[in-house]
Amino acid sequence: MLQPFVQDGKIDRVALTAELRRFLDLLLGSARFELAYEICLRDSVAAEDAVESPEIEVVFRGRDQDVLLERNAELLQALEYIALRWLRLDPHFYDHVRFDSGGYRALRIEELKLSARVAAERVRETRQPFRFNPMSSRERRIIHLVLKEQPGVRTASEGVGEQRQVIVYPAGKN
Amino acid sequence: MKELVEAIAKALVDNPDQVVVRAVEGEQVTVLELRVHPSDLGKVIGRQGRTAKSIRTILGAAGMKLKKRLTLEILE
Repeated sequence: MLQPFVQDGKIDRVALTAELRRFLDLLLGSARFELAYEICLRDSVAAEDAVESPEIEVVFRGRDQDVLLERNAELLQALEYIALRWLRLDPHFYDHVRFDSGGYRALRIEELKLSARVAAERVRETRQPFRFNPMSSRERRIIHLVLKEQPGVRTASEGVGEQRQVIVYPAGKN
Repeated sequence: MKELVEAIAKALVDNPDQVVVRAVEGEQVTVLELRVHPSDLGKVIGRQGRTAKSIRTILGAAGMKLKKRLTLEILE
């Protein structure tokens, strides 16, 4: 796939940010969402315990912030996905760009980390697999990363499309 | 919103000149009919329908703001 904003395996931040603005301005102008956005750039080298390290983050603020975050941030995630497709990024680069509002993503990551640890504990105690609710690839990745170093458990993803879910198994059991 | 759907579709497909969006206005509903080159259908629908679903989510929220129900129909 042609990737106009990737050169030598790296994102061309200036060009990508300009195109992202074009998308966001058109979106906010058409839909009349009462939202302003800020694009934050940061080095992708993040703290060791960070499971995500987006180098480009779009943060929305404004009266319609709640609309973005309803139903597990359905609109925020839809906007992010369409933006990623608009930018013609390869899925490999998807976690380099993140949309956020009101600190939702950081909170969600903390929630996922905690759920992962609780699930691992339960699986170690009961020796029975634990099935998470279906979640996006990005969220499944977080669960896998958090649990990869945990003793006594292993993780796998099963199911198709929106029904794909992480399952935590006792180590050594299929 | 017709312009937004058109711009999104043009950004996603390989044949942007073949993208046509027609807005059919009802009293409370606007149906946005999207036509693309047959080889681009998969691009606007996406894997497991995720792209189409995301566009519909955006239209749903925008409709609340514009006080009108917005429906996307992808015509084959």
